[in-house]
Amino acid sequence: MHIPDGYLGPATWIALFLVMLVIWFFAFRNANKNLGPRNVPMLSFMAALSFILMMFNLPIPDGTTAHMVGAVLIAIIVGPYGATIALSIALLIQALLFGDGGITAYGANVFNMGVVMPFTGILVYIAVRKALGESSSKKRAIAAFVAGYIGIVVAAFCAAVEFGIQPTIAPGYAPYGLGLAIPAMVGAHLLVGIAEGLTTAIVVYYLSENRVDLLNLPKFCPRWLERGMEKVPEKIPSGSSRGKMPTEAK
Amino acid sequence: MKSILLWPRKWIAAMITLIIATPLGILLVWDYGDAWGEWSGVGNWVPRHLWNAPFDGYDLSGWDSRLMASLGYIISAIVGVLAIAIVTYILYVAVARRENKGSSR
Repeated sequence: MHIPDGYLGPATWIALFLVMLVIWFFAFRNANKNLGPRNVPMLSFMAALSFILMMFNLPIPDGTTAHMVGAVLIAIIVGPYGATIALSIALLIQALLFGDGGITAYGANVFNMGVVMPFTGILVYIAVRKALGESSSKKRAIAAFVAGYIGIVVAAFCAAVEFGIQPTIAPGYAPYGLGLAIPAMVGAHLLVGIAEGLTTAIVVYYLSENRVDLLNLPKFCPRWLERGMEKVPEKIPSGSSRGKMPTEAK
Repeated sequence: MKSILLWPRKWIAAMITLIIATPLGILLVWDYGDAWGEWSGVGNWVPRHLWNAPFDGYDLSGWDSRLMASLGYIISAIVGVLAIAIVTYILYVAVARRENKGSSR
């Protein structure tokens, strides 16, 4: 899903950089309020985890490949703005050191994988959890699967639209129109979505069973989403607290 | 010395396991094309790199056999994770410094 340089005409990539400037402003303003030395390690681990997940290319039967992103999982653990920041870091390193994703397309890539995906995912996660009623680890896992699946598919759809409109608005850049880009991108990610959803669900299930404290970390999220964030009741008394992350941010 | 990653040991172990497994990400797709919409996937039209990345394609040049490419992939994974750790460590230092200032006031 990493859009390279040369695919997007200037109008598109500049517009997406401008959109990202606004979102970065809000994300970092939120982080500035909520970020303490105690939650940086988690953010750091999440960025690295996403980076590594993206290295696992999976075969798609049409001869192409696609990979997981992990952004919805990150959004569930540290909030959608946390995912925006983690993905901004991971994608920056990928573009600069590994030529994965273009420099000009950096804004577009962060927008797709670091904004569209975690925000879509967290909204779906909240909605499915609500629809399922009283929460349990299993229900959380189901919600996480659906959220991861829809999150990555919607992100791929956005990427497809971004380069699918190029033949119309910027000839000389990505040559294939919406009719080709959308089926190719969305099709591939309808499959990879299964892996994304399963990974998200397995980790959420594990945390819900064993490390509820990690699901209750302070969330980086806009105020309008705060009410949807779940406070998971802690079942296990602080018996096994070795290496435990502090739950309190302040 | 505190680990530069500031990660608990279990997380580091999990990350190392994942890093060792990363070659699956190229071996599973060895005879496949690239991701659609990434560097080479769009017919005869090829986009130009604007930037020569030092580890372009998560590969070291000349390391082309499956074994060597896998090694190069693991090295890339380590370099990437360390780079992320360094960037976030800078963030940590900035946040910790601010915290100290706040509490001494």
